[in-house]
Amino acid sequence: MTRVIEIFLAFIRIGALAFGGAYAAMPLIEQEIVDRTGWMTFTEFSDLIAIDELTPGPIIINSATFIGMKLGGIPGAIAATLGSILPACIVSIILFNLYKKYKTIPLISEMMNCLKSMSVAMILSTVLKIFLTAVFGNEIALANINIFALVMIVVAFITIKKTDVNPVIVMLGCGALSMVLSLAGIL
Amino acid sequence: MLKKMWIIFINCFTISMTANSGYAMFGVMKNRFAGKYGWVTEEEMEDYLALAQSSPGPVAVNSAVQVGQHVAGLPGAFSAVMGIILPPFLIMLLVTYFYTFVSTNPYVRLFIDGMQAGVCAMLLDIMLGLFKTVAKRNHIVYYLLIVISFLYVRLTKYSIFYLAVFCVIVAIIKAMVSRQEVKRHD
Repeated sequence: MTRVIEIFLAFIRIGALAFGGAYAAMPLIEQEIVDRTGWMTFTEFSDLIAIDELTPGPIIINSATFIGMKLGGIPGAIAATLGSILPACIVSIILFNLYKKYKTIPLISEMMNCLKSMSVAMILSTVLKIFLTAVFGNEIALANINIFALVMIVVAFITIKKTDVNPVIVMLGCGALSMVLSLAGIL
Repeated sequence: MLKKMWIIFINCFTISMTANSGYAMFGVMKNRFAGKYGWVTEEEMEDYLALAQSSPGPVAVNSAVQVGQHVAGLPGAFSAVMGIILPPFLIMLLVTYFYTFVSTNPYVRLFIDGMQAGVCAMLLDIMLGLFKTVAKRNHIVYYLLIVISFLYVRLTKYSIFYLAVFCVIVAIIKAMVSRQEVKRHD
């Protein structure tokens, strides 16, 4: 039971700070679930991002259910999911009523911009970590460099940026290609 | 009232099952609640999107709260949120159940590890998109905040909560300064 409450509180903290789109929640989950509590390994965490992309629905709810279920079964999943959206619901209800009263709130848009700047930096930090793990593995050294992964990241990025191909297809393609090449003994 | 709540719930449920991004879901919500049912105007929907973006958490949940509340008060907000969170919740329960079995399988492992390249590329794209919206306001304060936040996240182990508080304080100061500047110009 204490586990379930801990999960609930952890996801309230994550939900309350996830400004600037759902992906801003990922670095928060990393800090709370991987670094602070050690409930999950970094590998499980980056698997989670991939799984999130393959399933419909908001990413923060997907991750909450996934982590809650892994840590505390179905009660954990319910606690995590409700915790992750509780701050969002409370703030939304308050903002709705403020908006009905005042219509425009310049201070809120200013806060949004500052918090978005923070989100840029936080997502950058997570991308960097995933990039280094994918390209160098556990130890960053020139000898460990995985040229194939590096090329794949660049090609995947250009594909997402320049074409209309769904990112999910790009990710599945990366997975299939690297599995086939490894099994064929090329990698 | 109950009928309205049911319509809100079932629409949000189907929207959440089919769309992946919060903005896509918002688009369909606008189509249903403003277009099909005419319960809210398109202009009000735009404002609700702005509010949804200004709240923490997923845009889909936030805009569901706004629209639900507009149509049927707090019960409306409740049914909208339930509709949005139930499909991903149920699907993820199943996925997690299978993940624990297959994640150690060597073939599955090779596949998931390979997918990381795509994950990295996608997050990079999302980060650049967010950066663009910040850069549109083109103010030195935002760029400084990005640098400070990055150093904070990489170099310290303190909670991101303090960083968020710092950002809010900066926002308040900046809003006060720009208001005074406007007064001076008058």
